Amino acid sequence: MKLAVFWGCRILTSQYAYEMSIREVLPKLGVELIDLREALCCGDPVKSVNEFAANYLGARVLALVNLTGLCDVLVPCNRCHFVISEAKHLLETDEKTRAKVEDLLKEENLKYNPNVRIWHTIDLLHDRVGLDRIKKSVSKPLKGLRLAVHYGCQILRYSSLGRVDDAENPRKLDELIKTIGAETLDYAERLDCCGSALMYGHVDSALSLASSKLKAIQALNVDGLIISCPDCGYMFDAKQKDGASVIGAKLSLPVLYYTQLLGLTVGIAHDKLGLYLNQSPIDQFLTKVPV
Amino acid sequence: MSLVDSMSMAKPNLQARERILAKLHGRELLNCFQCMKCTSGCTALKLLELKPHEIEKLVNLSLVDELVSSDIIWTCATCLKCVQRCPQMASPYHVIMVLRNLAVEREAKVPEAFMKAVSLVLESGLAETTQKITTRTMQVCERESLKLPKIGSPRESFQAVFLKALEEK
Repeated sequence: MKLAVFWGCRILTSQYAYEMSIREVLPKLGVELIDLREALCCGDPVKSVNEFAANYLGARVLALVNLTGLCDVLVPCNRCHFVISEAKHLLETDEKTRAKVEDLLKEENLKYNPNVRIWHTIDLLHDRVGLDRIKKSVSKPLKGLRLAVHYGCQILRYSSLGRVDDAENPRKLDELIKTIGAETLDYAERLDCCGSALMYGHVDSALSLASSKLKAIQALNVDGLIISCPDCGYMFDAKQKDGASVIGAKLSLPVLYYTQLLGLTVGIAHDKLGLYLNQSPIDQFLTKVPV
Repeated sequence: MSLVDSMSMAKPNLQARERILAKLHGRELLNCFQCMKCTSGCTALKLLELKPHEIEKLVNLSLVDELVSSDIIWTCATCLKCVQRCPQMASPYHVIMVLRNLAVEREAKVPEAFMKAVSLVLESGLAETTQKITTRTMQVCERESLKLPKIGSPRESFQAVFLKALEEK
Protein backbone atom coordinates (compact mmCIF):
# COMPACT_ATOMS: atom_id res chain seq x y z
CA MET A 1 0.00 0.00 0.00
CA LYS A 2 1.49 3.31 -1.12
CA LEU A 3 0.30 6.73 0.03
CA ALA A 4 1.48 10.30 -0.28
CA VAL A 5 1.96 12.00 3.09
CA PHE A 6 1.20 15.60 3.97
CA TRP A 7 2.64 16.57 7.35
CA GLY A 8 1.41 20.15 7.76
CA CYS A 9 3.29 22.70 9.90
CA ARG A 10 3.22 21.57 13.48
CA ILE A 11 4.58 18.06 12.92
CA LEU A 12 7.42 19.32 10.72
CA THR A 13 8.38 22.17 13.03
CA SER A 14 8.05 20.72 16.54
CA GLN A 15 6.11 17.48 17.00
CA TYR A 16 9.00 15.38 15.72
CA ALA A 17 8.07 12.32 17.78
CA TYR A 18 4.83 11.90 15.82
CA GLU A 19 6.69 12.15 12.50
CA MET A 20 9.46 9.75 13.59
CA SER A 21 7.04 7.15 14.91
CA ILE A 22 4.85 7.29 11.79
CA ARG A 23 7.90 6.95 9.53
CA GLU A 24 9.07 3.93 11.55
CA VAL A 25 5.87 2.07 12.25
CA LEU A 26 3.86 2.29 9.01
CA PRO A 27 6.44 0.52 6.81
CA LYS A 28 6.35 -2.38 9.31
CA LEU A 29 2.65 -2.71 8.47
CA GLY A 30 3.13 -2.65 4.72
CA VAL A 31 2.46 1.06 4.19
CA GLU A 32 4.92 2.99 2.06
CA LEU A 33 4.85 6.79 2.45
CA ILE A 34 5.92 9.24 -0.25
CA ASP A 35 6.70 12.79 0.93
CA LEU A 36 5.33 15.69 -1.11
CA ARG A 37 8.02 17.71 -2.84
CA GLU A 38 6.94 20.96 -1.18
CA ALA A 39 5.95 21.55 2.42
CA LEU A 40 2.92 23.79 2.77
CA CYS A 41 0.43 25.17 5.29
CA CYS A 42 -2.97 23.47 4.96
CA GLY A 43 -4.70 26.83 5.39
CA ASP A 44 -5.84 26.47 9.00
CA PRO A 45 -4.72 29.81 10.51
CA VAL A 46 -5.44 31.49 7.16
CA LYS A 47 -9.12 30.54 7.43
CA SER A 48 -9.70 33.24 10.04
CA VAL A 49 -8.07 35.85 7.83
CA ASN A 50 -9.33 34.91 4.37
CA GLU A 51 -11.36 31.79 3.82
CA PHE A 52 -10.84 31.73 0.08
CA ALA A 53 -7.06 31.80 0.48
CA ALA A 54 -7.31 28.95 3.01
CA ASN A 55 -9.34 26.84 0.60
CA TYR A 56 -6.81 27.62 -2.11
CA LEU A 57 -4.04 26.26 0.15
CA GLY A 58 -6.08 23.12 0.91
CA ALA A 59 -6.65 22.57 -2.81
CA ARG A 60 -2.96 23.20 -3.49
CA VAL A 61 -2.09 20.38 -1.09
CA LEU A 62 -4.32 18.03 -3.10
CA ALA A 63 -2.72 19.30 -6.30
CA LEU A 64 0.72 18.48 -4.85
CA VAL A 65 -0.55 14.98 -4.05
CA ASN A 66 -1.64 14.74 -7.68
CA LEU A 67 2.00 15.32 -8.72
CA THR A 68 3.02 12.09 -7.01
CA GLY A 69 0.60 10.13 -9.19
CA LEU A 70 -0.99 8.66 -6.05
CA CYS A 71 -4.68 8.81 -5.18
CA ASP A 72 -4.40 8.56 -1.39
CA VAL A 73 -2.84 10.98 1.04
CA LEU A 74 -2.11 10.50 4.73
CA VAL A 75 -2.74 13.66 6.77
CA PRO A 76 -1.75 12.79 10.36
CA CYS A 77 -2.78 16.18 11.81
CA ASN A 78 -6.45 16.61 12.80
CA ARG A 79 -6.58 20.29 11.89
CA CYS A 80 -4.98 19.79 8.47
CA HIS A 81 -7.28 16.81 7.88
CA PHE A 82 -10.34 18.98 8.52
CA VAL A 83 -9.19 22.03 6.56
CA ILE A 84 -8.21 20.02 3.50
CA SER A 85 -11.41 17.95 3.68
CA GLU A 86 -13.51 21.10 3.86
CA ALA A 87 -11.63 22.69 0.94
CA LYS A 88 -12.25 19.51 -1.08
CA HIS A 89 -15.94 19.53 -0.16
CA LEU A 90 -16.30 23.18 -1.14
CA LEU A 91 -14.58 22.67 -4.47
CA GLU A 92 -16.94 19.80 -5.19
CA THR A 93 -20.09 21.72 -4.29
CA ASP A 94 -19.32 25.29 -5.35
CA GLU A 95 -18.43 25.66 -9.01
CA LYS A 96 -17.53 29.33 -8.77
CA THR A 97 -14.96 28.77 -6.04
CA ARG A 98 -13.60 25.76 -7.87
CA ALA A 99 -13.10 27.73 -11.09
CA LYS A 100 -11.26 30.49 -9.24
CA VAL A 101 -9.04 28.04 -7.36
CA GLU A 102 -8.27 26.05 -10.50
CA ASP A 103 -7.23 29.26 -12.27
CA LEU A 104 -4.77 30.05 -9.49
CA LEU A 105 -3.39 26.51 -9.52
CA LYS A 106 -2.98 26.68 -13.29
CA GLU A 107 -0.57 29.60 -12.87
CA GLU A 108 1.82 27.13 -11.25
CA ASN A 109 1.00 24.29 -13.64
CA LEU A 110 -0.79 22.47 -10.82
CA LYS A 111 -3.97 20.50 -11.19
CA TYR A 112 -6.61 19.71 -8.59
CA ASN A 113 -7.58 16.06 -8.57
CA PRO A 114 -11.04 15.42 -7.04
CA ASN A 115 -10.29 11.70 -6.68
CA VAL A 116 -7.61 12.06 -4.01
CA ARG A 117 -8.73 10.35 -0.80
CA ILE A 118 -7.71 11.86 2.52
CA TRP A 119 -6.67 9.53 5.36
CA HIS A 120 -5.81 10.13 8.98
CA THR A 121 -3.48 7.88 11.00
CA ILE A 122 -6.48 6.41 12.84
CA ASP A 123 -8.67 5.39 9.90
CA LEU A 124 -5.67 4.34 7.83
CA LEU A 125 -4.65 1.91 10.58
CA HIS A 126 -8.17 0.85 11.54
CA ASP A 127 -9.90 0.63 8.15
CA ARG A 128 -7.11 -0.04 5.65
CA VAL A 129 -4.28 -1.78 7.46
CA GLY A 130 -6.86 -3.49 9.67
CA LEU A 131 -6.88 -4.78 13.23
CA ASP A 132 -5.95 -8.32 12.15
CA ARG A 133 -2.79 -7.24 10.38
CA ILE A 134 -1.83 -5.09 13.36
CA LYS A 135 -2.44 -7.93 15.79
CA LYS A 136 -0.25 -10.26 13.73
CA SER A 137 2.58 -7.70 13.67
CA VAL A 138 2.62 -7.23 17.44
CA SER A 139 5.50 -9.12 19.02
CA LYS A 140 5.35 -7.50 22.48
CA PRO A 141 1.71 -6.94 23.41
CA LEU A 142 0.94 -4.54 26.25
CA LYS A 143 -0.26 -6.02 29.53
CA GLY A 144 -2.33 -4.62 32.36
CA LEU A 145 -2.28 -1.00 31.17
CA ARG A 146 -5.33 1.25 31.56
CA LEU A 147 -5.25 4.14 29.13
CA ALA A 148 -7.32 7.24 28.45
CA VAL A 149 -7.89 8.16 24.82
CA HIS A 150 -8.21 11.64 23.31
CA TYR A 151 -9.39 11.73 19.69
CA GLY A 152 -9.28 15.50 19.18
CA CYS A 153 -12.07 17.54 17.65
CA GLN A 154 -11.54 17.94 13.99
CA ILE A 155 -11.30 14.34 12.81
CA LEU A 156 -14.69 13.68 14.45
CA ARG A 157 -16.74 16.70 13.52
CA TYR A 158 -18.71 17.57 11.56
CA SER A 159 -20.19 14.31 10.25
CA SER A 160 -21.81 15.65 7.07
CA LEU A 161 -18.28 16.38 5.82
CA GLY A 162 -17.37 12.70 6.18
CA ARG A 163 -15.10 12.25 9.18
CA VAL A 164 -12.79 9.60 10.51
CA ASP A 165 -15.08 8.21 13.22
CA ASP A 166 -18.46 8.75 14.89
CA ALA A 167 -18.83 12.30 16.22
CA GLU A 168 -20.35 11.50 19.60
CA ASN A 169 -19.11 7.99 20.29
CA PRO A 170 -15.83 7.34 18.47
CA ARG A 171 -14.38 3.82 18.92
CA LYS A 172 -11.60 3.32 16.37
CA LEU A 173 -8.67 4.51 18.49
CA ASP A 174 -10.03 2.53 21.45
CA GLU A 175 -10.12 -0.59 19.27
CA LEU A 176 -6.62 0.07 17.97
CA ILE A 177 -5.36 0.23 21.56
CA LYS A 178 -7.23 -2.91 22.63
CA THR A 179 -5.73 -4.74 19.64
CA ILE A 180 -2.23 -4.17 21.01
CA GLY A 181 -3.19 -5.39 24.48
CA ALA A 182 -4.18 -2.42 26.64
CA GLU A 183 -7.48 -1.43 28.17
CA THR A 184 -9.18 1.92 27.48
CA LEU A 185 -11.86 3.59 29.52
CA ASP A 186 -14.70 6.01 28.91
CA TYR A 187 -14.69 9.25 30.85
CA ALA A 188 -16.89 12.32 30.94
CA GLU A 189 -14.35 14.69 29.37
CA ARG A 190 -13.54 12.32 26.50
CA LEU A 191 -14.75 14.66 23.74
CA ASP A 192 -13.47 17.88 25.31
CA CYS A 193 -11.23 20.07 23.18
CA CYS A 194 -7.50 20.54 23.94
CA GLY A 195 -7.86 24.28 23.28
CA SER A 196 -4.91 24.59 20.90
CA ALA A 197 -6.72 26.94 18.48
CA LEU A 198 -7.03 29.48 21.30
CA MET A 199 -3.22 29.73 21.56
CA TYR A 200 -3.46 32.40 18.82
CA GLY A 201 -5.14 34.94 21.05
CA HIS A 202 -6.12 33.52 24.45
CA VAL A 203 -3.14 31.59 25.75
CA ASP A 204 -4.27 31.26 29.38
CA SER A 205 -7.71 30.00 28.38
CA ALA A 206 -6.15 27.51 25.99
CA LEU A 207 -3.79 26.18 28.66
CA SER A 208 -6.60 26.09 31.18
CA LEU A 209 -8.75 23.95 28.86
CA ALA A 210 -5.91 21.50 28.23
CA SER A 211 -4.84 21.19 31.85
CA SER A 212 -8.40 20.87 33.18
CA LYS A 213 -8.83 17.86 30.95
CA LEU A 214 -5.47 16.44 32.05
CA LYS A 215 -6.42 16.94 35.69
CA ALA A 216 -9.69 15.05 35.18
CA ILE A 217 -7.88 12.20 33.42
CA GLN A 218 -5.20 12.02 36.09
CA ALA A 219 -7.90 11.58 38.73
CA LEU A 220 -8.98 8.37 36.96
CA ASN A 221 -5.67 6.71 37.89
CA VAL A 222 -4.87 5.73 34.34
CA ASP A 223 -1.37 4.79 33.19
CA GLY A 224 -1.34 7.37 30.42
CA LEU A 225 -3.11 9.37 27.75
CA ILE A 226 -2.97 8.35 24.08
CA ILE A 227 -3.36 10.95 21.34
CA SER A 228 -2.99 11.15 17.59
CA CYS A 229 -2.93 14.85 16.69
CA PRO A 230 0.14 17.12 16.83
CA ASP A 231 -1.89 20.05 18.18
CA CYS A 232 -3.23 17.94 21.02
CA GLY A 233 0.32 16.65 21.54
CA TYR A 234 1.57 20.20 21.80
CA MET A 235 -1.07 21.11 24.39
CA PHE A 236 -1.11 17.93 26.50
CA ASP A 237 2.55 16.95 26.27
CA ALA A 238 4.74 19.98 25.47
CA LYS A 239 2.58 22.45 27.43
CA GLN A 240 1.62 20.20 30.34
CA LYS A 241 3.81 22.07 32.85
CA ASP A 242 2.62 25.50 31.67
CA GLY A 243 -0.98 24.33 31.89
CA ALA A 244 -0.48 22.97 35.38
CA SER A 245 0.75 26.34 36.62
CA VAL A 246 -2.23 28.15 35.04
CA ILE A 247 -4.78 26.08 36.98
CA GLY A 248 -2.55 25.51 40.01
CA ALA A 249 -2.56 21.72 39.78
CA LYS A 250 0.17 19.15 39.99
CA LEU A 251 0.13 17.29 36.69
CA SER A 252 2.31 14.31 35.81
CA LEU A 253 0.40 12.38 33.17
CA PRO A 254 2.36 10.42 30.56
CA VAL A 255 1.18 11.42 27.06
CA LEU A 256 2.14 9.35 24.01
CA TYR A 257 1.19 9.25 20.37
CA TYR A 258 -0.62 6.08 19.34
CA THR A 259 2.07 5.46 16.73
CA GLN A 260 4.72 5.52 19.49
CA LEU A 261 2.76 2.98 21.53
CA LEU A 262 2.18 0.79 18.47
CA GLY A 263 5.89 1.06 17.61
CA LEU A 264 6.83 -0.29 21.05
CA THR A 265 4.61 -3.35 20.58
CA VAL A 266 6.01 -4.20 17.15
CA GLY A 267 9.52 -4.04 18.59
CA ILE A 268 10.90 -0.71 17.38
CA ALA A 269 13.66 0.83 19.55
CA HIS A 270 12.77 3.73 21.86
CA ASP A 271 15.02 6.29 20.21
CA LYS A 272 13.60 5.57 16.76
CA LEU A 273 10.13 6.37 18.09
CA GLY A 274 11.33 9.69 19.48
CA LEU A 275 10.33 8.65 23.01
CA TYR A 276 13.02 10.89 24.52
CA LEU A 277 11.27 13.88 22.93
CA ASN A 278 8.04 13.60 24.93
CA GLN A 279 7.98 16.39 27.50
CA SER A 280 5.51 14.68 29.82
CA PRO A 281 6.94 12.22 32.39
CA ILE A 282 6.80 8.96 30.41
CA ASP A 283 9.81 7.17 31.94
CA GLN A 284 7.78 5.32 34.54
CA PHE A 285 5.21 4.42 31.88
CA LEU A 286 7.94 2.88 29.74
CA THR A 287 8.97 0.55 32.56
CA LYS A 288 5.49 -1.02 32.35
CA VAL A 289 5.92 -1.85 28.66
CA PRO A 290 7.35 -5.30 27.85
CA VAL A 291 10.86 -5.14 26.38
CA MET B 1 -20.96 44.21 29.83
CA SER B 2 -22.36 41.42 27.75
CA LEU B 3 -22.33 41.35 24.00
CA VAL B 4 -26.08 41.96 23.83
CA ASP B 5 -25.79 45.13 25.97
CA SER B 6 -23.40 46.69 23.50
CA MET B 7 -26.04 46.28 20.79
CA SER B 8 -28.63 48.46 22.53
CA MET B 9 -27.80 51.54 20.45
CA ALA B 10 -26.67 49.61 17.38
CA LYS B 11 -27.99 50.22 13.90
CA PRO B 12 -28.63 47.26 11.61
CA ASN B 13 -26.36 46.87 8.62
CA LEU B 14 -28.46 45.02 6.06
CA GLN B 15 -25.77 45.03 3.41
CA ALA B 16 -23.25 43.36 5.72
CA ARG B 17 -25.80 40.71 6.63
CA GLU B 18 -26.42 39.93 2.97
CA ARG B 19 -22.67 39.56 2.44
CA ILE B 20 -22.39 37.16 5.35
CA LEU B 21 -25.28 35.04 4.06
CA ALA B 22 -23.67 34.92 0.62
CA LYS B 23 -20.40 33.68 2.11
CA LEU B 24 -22.00 30.83 4.04
CA HIS B 25 -22.13 28.59 0.96
CA GLY B 26 -25.79 27.70 1.42
CA ARG B 27 -25.79 27.13 5.19
CA GLU B 28 -29.10 28.23 6.63
CA LEU B 29 -28.38 30.94 9.19
CA LEU B 30 -31.98 32.14 8.80
CA ASN B 31 -33.28 28.87 10.21
CA CYS B 32 -31.74 29.36 13.66
CA PHE B 33 -34.57 29.05 16.20
CA GLN B 34 -32.42 29.82 19.24
CA CYS B 35 -32.47 26.35 20.79
CA MET B 36 -29.04 27.09 22.29
CA LYS B 37 -27.63 23.63 21.68
CA CYS B 38 -24.56 25.38 20.29
CA THR B 39 -24.05 27.49 23.40
CA SER B 40 -24.69 24.66 25.83
CA GLY B 41 -21.84 22.63 24.36
CA CYS B 42 -19.52 25.50 23.45
CA THR B 43 -15.87 24.97 24.43
CA ALA B 44 -15.34 28.72 24.84
CA LEU B 45 -18.51 29.40 26.86
CA LYS B 46 -17.16 28.77 30.34
CA LEU B 47 -13.85 30.61 30.14
CA LEU B 48 -14.49 33.23 27.49
CA GLU B 49 -18.28 33.67 27.54
CA LEU B 50 -18.77 32.92 23.87
CA LYS B 51 -22.46 32.35 23.21
CA PRO B 52 -22.82 31.21 19.62
CA HIS B 53 -26.64 31.49 19.60
CA GLU B 54 -26.34 35.21 20.37
CA ILE B 55 -24.03 35.64 17.41
CA GLU B 56 -26.53 33.87 15.18
CA LYS B 57 -29.34 36.12 16.41
CA LEU B 58 -27.35 39.34 16.04
CA VAL B 59 -26.35 38.54 12.47
CA ASN B 60 -29.95 37.63 11.69
CA LEU B 61 -30.96 41.05 13.05
CA SER B 62 -28.23 42.61 10.87
CA LEU B 63 -26.40 43.91 13.95
CA VAL B 64 -23.08 43.07 12.38
CA ASP B 65 -20.80 46.07 12.88
CA GLU B 66 -20.40 45.73 16.65
CA LEU B 67 -19.81 42.01 16.29
CA VAL B 68 -17.07 42.51 13.74
CA SER B 69 -15.14 44.83 16.02
CA SER B 70 -15.79 42.74 19.12
CA ASP B 71 -13.19 40.49 20.75
CA ILE B 72 -15.81 37.80 21.14
CA ILE B 73 -15.48 36.44 17.59
CA TRP B 74 -11.84 35.56 18.35
CA THR B 75 -12.72 33.35 21.33
CA CYS B 76 -13.98 30.40 19.26
CA ALA B 77 -11.85 27.29 19.82
CA THR B 78 -12.98 25.82 16.46
CA CYS B 79 -13.93 22.53 18.14
CA LEU B 80 -16.86 22.25 15.66
CA LYS B 81 -19.33 20.94 18.25
CA CYS B 82 -21.82 23.65 17.23
CA VAL B 83 -21.68 22.59 13.59
CA GLN B 84 -22.21 18.98 14.55
CA ARG B 85 -25.08 19.56 16.96
CA CYS B 86 -27.07 22.34 15.27
CA PRO B 87 -30.44 20.87 14.26
CA GLN B 88 -31.01 23.63 11.70
CA MET B 89 -27.71 23.58 9.78
CA ALA B 90 -27.11 27.15 10.90
CA SER B 91 -23.51 26.46 11.94
CA PRO B 92 -22.23 29.24 14.24
CA TYR B 93 -18.62 28.22 13.52
CA HIS B 94 -18.95 29.17 9.86
CA VAL B 95 -20.66 32.46 10.75
CA ILE B 96 -17.81 33.28 13.14
CA MET B 97 -15.23 32.58 10.42
CA VAL B 98 -17.00 34.96 8.03
CA LEU B 99 -17.13 37.60 10.78
CA ARG B 100 -13.38 37.17 11.37
CA ASN B 101 -12.73 37.62 7.65
CA LEU B 102 -14.80 40.80 7.74
CA ALA B 103 -12.83 42.06 10.74
CA VAL B 104 -9.59 41.59 8.80
CA GLU B 105 -11.09 43.34 5.76
CA ARG B 106 -12.21 46.31 7.86
CA GLU B 107 -8.87 46.43 9.68
CA ALA B 108 -10.55 45.90 13.03
CA LYS B 109 -8.62 44.44 15.97
CA VAL B 110 -7.30 41.01 14.99
CA PRO B 111 -5.06 38.84 17.21
CA GLU B 112 -1.55 39.41 15.89
CA ALA B 113 -0.70 35.71 15.71
CA PHE B 114 -3.11 35.16 12.80
CA MET B 115 -1.51 37.85 10.68
CA LYS B 116 1.92 36.56 11.62
CA ALA B 117 0.93 33.06 10.50
CA VAL B 118 -0.16 34.41 7.11
CA SER B 119 3.11 36.29 6.63
CA LEU B 120 5.07 33.17 7.57
CA VAL B 121 3.14 31.18 4.95
CA LEU B 122 4.05 33.84 2.38
CA GLU B 123 7.71 33.63 3.38
CA SER B 124 8.21 29.89 3.71
CA GLY B 125 5.00 28.05 2.83
CA LEU B 126 4.59 27.01 6.48
CA ALA B 127 2.70 28.88 9.21
CA GLU B 128 5.30 28.02 11.85
CA THR B 129 9.08 28.06 12.16
CA THR B 130 11.14 25.00 13.13
CA GLN B 131 11.74 24.64 16.86
CA LYS B 132 14.62 23.12 18.76
CA ILE B 133 13.32 20.62 21.30
CA THR B 134 15.02 20.05 24.65
CA THR B 135 14.58 16.45 25.75
CA ARG B 136 13.75 15.32 29.30
CA THR B 137 17.47 14.74 29.79
CA MET B 138 18.33 18.26 28.58
CA GLN B 139 19.63 17.42 25.13
CA VAL B 140 18.79 19.86 22.37
CA CYS B 141 17.40 18.25 19.21
CA GLU B 142 16.41 19.54 15.81
CA ARG B 143 15.35 17.93 12.53
CA GLU B 144 18.91 17.38 11.35
CA SER B 145 20.18 15.72 14.53
CA LEU B 146 17.04 13.55 14.56
CA LYS B 147 17.88 12.47 11.00
CA LEU B 148 14.55 13.73 9.71
CA PRO B 149 14.41 14.76 6.03
CA LYS B 150 14.91 18.39 5.02
CA ILE B 151 11.72 20.43 4.64
CA GLY B 152 11.03 21.16 0.95
CA SER B 153 10.26 24.82 0.26
CA PRO B 154 7.52 25.86 -2.16
CA ARG B 155 8.47 26.81 -5.70
CA GLU B 156 9.19 30.48 -6.34
CA SER B 157 5.87 31.17 -8.04
CA PHE B 158 3.92 30.29 -4.88
CA GLN B 159 4.26 33.65 -3.13
CA ALA B 160 2.73 35.68 -5.95
CA VAL B 161 -0.18 33.27 -6.43
CA PHE B 162 -0.90 33.09 -2.69
CA LEU B 163 -0.94 36.92 -2.57
CA LYS B 164 -3.52 36.86 -5.34
CA ALA B 165 -5.63 34.39 -3.36
CA LEU B 166 -5.46 36.72 -0.35
CA GLU B 167 -6.90 39.56 -2.43
CA GLU B 168 -10.10 37.63 -3.03
CA LYS B 169 -12.96 39.12 -1.00
